[in-house]
Amino acid sequence: MSTCPRCQSTEDKIRAEHKGLNAQGELVWTIFHCNACEFTWRDSEPASTIDYNKREAFFRVDPEKPYPVIMPPAQYK
Amino acid sequence: MSTDKKPLSATARAVGERIGSLRDFLEFLEENGQCITWTDEIMPEPDVRNIAVAAGRDSMNGPAVIFNNIAGYPGKKLVLGVHGSFTNLALLLGHPKGTTIKELFYDIISRWGDDKPLLDFIEPEAAPVNENRITDNFNLYDLLPLYRINEYDGGFYIGKANVVSRDPRDPDNFGKQNVGIYRIQVQAPGEFTLLSIPAHDMGRHIMAAEQENVPLKISVMLGNHPAMCMFAATPVGYEESEFAYASQMMGSPLRLTKSGNGMDILADSEMIIEAELMNGVRTLEGPFGEFPGSYSGVRKIPRFKVTAISHRNDPIFENIYIGRGWTEHDTLIGLNTSAPIYAQLKKDFPEVVAVNALYQHGLTGVISVKNRFAGFAKSVAMRALGTPHGTMYLKNLIMVDDDVDPFDLNEVMWALSTRTRADDTIVIPNMPLIPIDPAAEVAGKGHRLIIDATSFMPPDKLGSDSKIVTPPAGSEIDEIAKVIQLLQNGGQS
Repeated sequence: MSTCPRCQSTEDKIRAEHKGLNAQGELVWTIFHCNACEFTWRDSEPASTIDYNKREAFFRVDPEKPYPVIMPPAQYK
Repeated sequence: MSTDKKPLSATARAVGERIGSLRDFLEFLEENGQCITWTDEIMPEPDVRNIAVAAGRDSMNGPAVIFNNIAGYPGKKLVLGVHGSFTNLALLLGHPKGTTIKELFYDIISRWGDDKPLLDFIEPEAAPVNENRITDNFNLYDLLPLYRINEYDGGFYIGKANVVSRDPRDPDNFGKQNVGIYRIQVQAPGEFTLLSIPAHDMGRHIMAAEQENVPLKISVMLGNHPAMCMFAATPVGYEESEFAYASQMMGSPLRLTKSGNGMDILADSEMIIEAELMNGVRTLEGPFGEFPGSYSGVRKIPRFKVTAISHRNDPIFENIYIGRGWTEHDTLIGLNTSAPIYAQLKKDFPEVVAVNALYQHGLTGVISVKNRFAGFAKSVAMRALGTPHGTMYLKNLIMVDDDVDPFDLNEVMWALSTRTRADDTIVIPNMPLIPIDPAAEVAGKGHRLIIDATSFMPPDKLGSDSKIVTPPAGSEIDEIAKVIQLLQNGGQS
């Protein structure tokens, strides 16, 4: 998985979280997480979820965008 | 609501005594044909979602579904739809299959309260939830068969956890200890975000901890007694205990113990994740397919770090399908949303007969009321908008007479067809409204609609020359209907 399916961040931003094995100990899938947009995905998911070009554009995330903050931390008030 | 209280039936008492945990309830549902096990191997996505949606289509009789063969999660168990149908709720309350929603509503009303809690406290060493204890190297992705609930969710969500927190300014107060369901997105093997807002009890705890710069410790209970989930999802008063309400509804004791970080927890839950707020940290979260049937957007929200995990042997991960209704969310929360609105209205207006706030947590409600004089129902509607839940949720309100069952949409539509004048509706603009209503003009603000579908009364002359047909009704007809159903099912209930 070279880029994030949601924000297209490159490999250095992506960490492999967990490998799912079957009862025989063989690899079935891997879970990844993007440190830039905090998207989590499994490499066995349908392309409509994990392929940037097949995902609905509406759901793209730009990590640089100032997303609303729920309950802004008290010390920053 | 003390006037409505009735002693529990022998069956209800026996069911209350038998069910002490999620496991007990699943066994009971299975015996009654309301829990199935999906044994074929499936992929986490999209199979879990597909099966959950299909099983949830029948809001009256859909079963809980246990998954025990999810690829990549050998030996792990997941259950969905435990509260997915009204029949499952009926069984929990000691009623037979075929019990109507209205009957369940009145039964829940009669059990409602927290003045007689039934709570047994047991030592942590004796609690089944402490059979296993993990204190480092946490990996939620390994412990729980996690999956994406809806296809554009931002990650893997825990949607049905009951989260216990204490008021950091009054940590010894049992009543101010809160149990609530908040959506949790796993953000790392040992970290998660949790969405709450200032209006929630949990939100108050988060803000207080950050203002005082003191730790906020929480215990996330997974796989819980089915009554606990119902009250964790119920907006009760800030100083009222959800444990007390849940035990009183069941009429038999709930077993509590202490978590490693000092919360009161259910001794028989499947898993407890102890965690601590990362003060001042906000992390991108969402989208998440929410109960109005649309995704709520990406936000920066509070983040927690896992500090310990306890779990039973072979824990069962209980989760929920939520999205465009009808879903388990609506059945889980519907009657417990309706009951407090009814109680609050009944204090001022004893003429109120029943409240149906089942739809999208009460975004649409139907209230039946004995009309005292022309226009009376509108006054009751205004009062309903001023109840704590009504203030943010009751967007569309349909008022019907006491001869209309607000839980029977055929009857409600009849009232709309025959008793509504187009100018007998009220729109109140620019009212407060939950931010995730997709129809809001501005998030957090919207218009309210009251439709008066009650009959005309003096001095209103309209309709005075028509007379309603009165078909036979009442308990006798209800019984006959049940006999017919029985005959139709070949003697099987």
